[in-house]
Amino acid sequence: MWECPNYTSQLHPQLRTKMEVLLGFTGKDYTIVAASKAAMRGATILKAADDKTKQLNKHTLMAFSGEAGDTVQFAEYIQANIQLYSMRNDTDLGPSAVASFVRGELARSLRSRKPYTVNLLLGGMDPITNEPHLYWLDYLASLAPLPYAAHGYAQYYCLSILDKHHHPDIDFEQGLKILKMCTDELKRRLPIDFKGMLVKVIDKDGIREIDYDMSKEVLPA
Amino acid sequence: MDALVATYSRPAFEDEGYSSDEHQELIQAKPSLSLNFALPPMRNPSAFLRALTDDHANPSCPIKLAHGTTTLAFRFQGGIIVATDSRASAGDWIASQTVKKVIEINNCLLGTMAGGAADCQYWLGYLGMQCRLHELRHKRRISVAAASKILSNLVYSYKGMGLSMGTMCAGVTPQEGPALYYIDSEGTRLAGNLFCVGSGQTFAYGVLDAEYHYNLSEEEALELGSRSILAATHRDAFSGGFINLYHVKEDGWVKHGFRDTNPIFWKTKLEKGEFSNVTANL
Amino acid sequence: MSRRYDSRTTIFSPEGRLYQVEYALEAISHAGTAIGILSTDGIVLAAERKVTSKLLEQDTSAEKLYILNDNMICAVAGMTADANILINYARQAAQRYLLTYNEDIPCEQLVRRLCDLKQGYTQHGGLRPFGVSFIYAGYDPQRQFQLYQSNPSGNYGGWKATSVGANNASAQSLLKQDYKEECDLKEACGLAVKVLSKTMDSTKLTSEKIEFATVGKTKDGKVYHHLWGADEITTLLQEHGLAKAEEEDTG
Repeated sequence: MWECPNYTSQLHPQLRTKMEVLLGFTGKDYTIVAASKAAMRGATILKAADDKTKQLNKHTLMAFSGEAGDTVQFAEYIQANIQLYSMRNDTDLGPSAVASFVRGELARSLRSRKPYTVNLLLGGMDPITNEPHLYWLDYLASLAPLPYAAHGYAQYYCLSILDKHHHPDIDFEQGLKILKMCTDELKRRLPIDFKGMLVKVIDKDGIREIDYDMSKEVLPA
Repeated sequence: MDALVATYSRPAFEDEGYSSDEHQELIQAKPSLSLNFALPPMRNPSAFLRALTDDHANPSCPIKLAHGTTTLAFRFQGGIIVATDSRASAGDWIASQTVKKVIEINNCLLGTMAGGAADCQYWLGYLGMQCRLHELRHKRRISVAAASKILSNLVYSYKGMGLSMGTMCAGVTPQEGPALYYIDSEGTRLAGNLFCVGSGQTFAYGVLDAEYHYNLSEEEALELGSRSILAATHRDAFSGGFINLYHVKEDGWVKHGFRDTNPIFWKTKLEKGEFSNVTANL
Repeated sequence: MSRRYDSRTTIFSPEGRLYQVEYALEAISHAGTAIGILSTDGIVLAAERKVTSKLLEQDTSAEKLYILNDNMICAVAGMTADANILINYARQAAQRYLLTYNEDIPCEQLVRRLCDLKQGYTQHGGLRPFGVSFIYAGYDPQRQFQLYQSNPSGNYGGWKATSVGANNASAQSLLKQDYKEECDLKEACGLAVKVLSKTMDSTKLTSEKIEFATVGKTKDGKVYHHLWGADEITTLLQEHGLAKAEEEDTG
């Protein structure tokens, strides 16, 4: 029998969501957002090169995890609205305005018949002040501006590393080093293979993906 | 259905914030008028339906849905291979051994069927209609990306109401080349090279992943697809019957038979010496 | 000829005109003058009060200048009752934007929202267009200080200095003559009273006859808007030697 959600739940949906890694932090003049590449369904990894991020406008990137289906639908809904704003007003919304808008939509959804179960990280550069921004949002519509943030089990490993090593004025090379510390630890300790990380950088020139090699084996401590 | 849902479930904070009717209209994917389903007139139709159909929790439930499957599809240099078994089970009862689980949406697009048989047949049929309408309206064939998006938006609009489908859309179009999408009733839609769906998916993955690469020849690809289904029918109790094999190419799909697993199994065992666990020796 | 067309807002005349809109513009050209001047560090709005009576309570009836939002004020020329509806609409729109995005609405967007509403009344059947022109003064981080003007047709534009209402043609030419780019707010205020003193019918300027407001930045970079009190206006008039006559008169 084809697996029905209520028939054989090989991996609890909540558990799967927490296994998805979302990670982000700000540096001196950039924001890094990283997301795991595995698309999981039950006991199967359906795709090993999944992109859990969406570019909202030139300087804002949203990474998402959570309930299957909800994630992409919500992200596309937000993306469409932010792009519509850019078209209508000939200017992009700043990251803080985007974050408030997204929070508002999540809060509205929370009181609806079927709320979106989506956790988000929003990374951006303010096009006017040129300051990097990172926002943490969860499916209960909490919004927090933070220098570094994560979702799922990654929080338990990465936040302590970032607590120790992150400073607001780190340059890009230092940032990559800290990211490597985080992803190595995840590879070492998370019980499932999340198929590596997709890493994107937001800076004054816009958003770009960087080559991020995680194929090297991480030795257990 | 919207009217019914609206009648029976009005959230307390509906009027909070501003109106978003425009947005809703744009993302509205449900079919209109005659294609709307009547839902059971209760506050939570999906829970009601589950109570009546969940034979796992309640073996004596009044409605037994037909489902249970192995389906697979993969992209390779010569197009896309689509293969399925043909067993339909309702609970622990084999309802049919000759189900066609590859649904011919049109002469270039195939859909596969896993999960609720009725759900898949109905909605892939509906998708076929939408694809034809797209062709008439735009004077060109629909892309696989667009077709799969129609289906995923559709099932997403029914999310949580009891739909159960795991399907793949395979097609070759001039703009995309060979394209393969996985869509399920949770609303997931993924593009990829290779998918297996159904209760026998793990068994099929095992055989397929080991020998898959993009540059397979047509013959190798067909054999690999067929062998992967065979593996699943051998190990998964809810898969079996016939191997239904298709090859999708740019100028349409080609059917490569609907063949009984039993002789294929024995041929494989006896000629290649595989399945060595199957033996009459004590 | 025009009889057949001018009663309907939404029908073009054979010459391609919308008479009701033109009549609304005509109504505005009889209203008290309002002017706005953009400077490097702020904007000044000044307006002439038409109804003045000793019996009128000064504090409770601002007539020409209104606050729309934390970052924006406007001057009105035309029917005040119509203006109230539009101002209320603008305030709500601004608050809704603040609620959604947690930041002030960009000036042009607010102007456009109002103008979209005004435009609707030149197209959809049976209703009278709003008989008001506005001058808007505002600040947003993207475009800094901005001055806009809109009219009953729903057209709007950005200006360095502009005027509406009675005598606006002469006010406009005075502004054109005397406006200096790179002037500061103080100079702009001076220019504003000078222009008003020349375009107003009455020979004497008093704080009862004009309203004044400024948008600017405080020393610590915060944007403020300020509707002037009577004593501030009197001081300004004295500085520019325009209040003398009045003082002699009353004194």
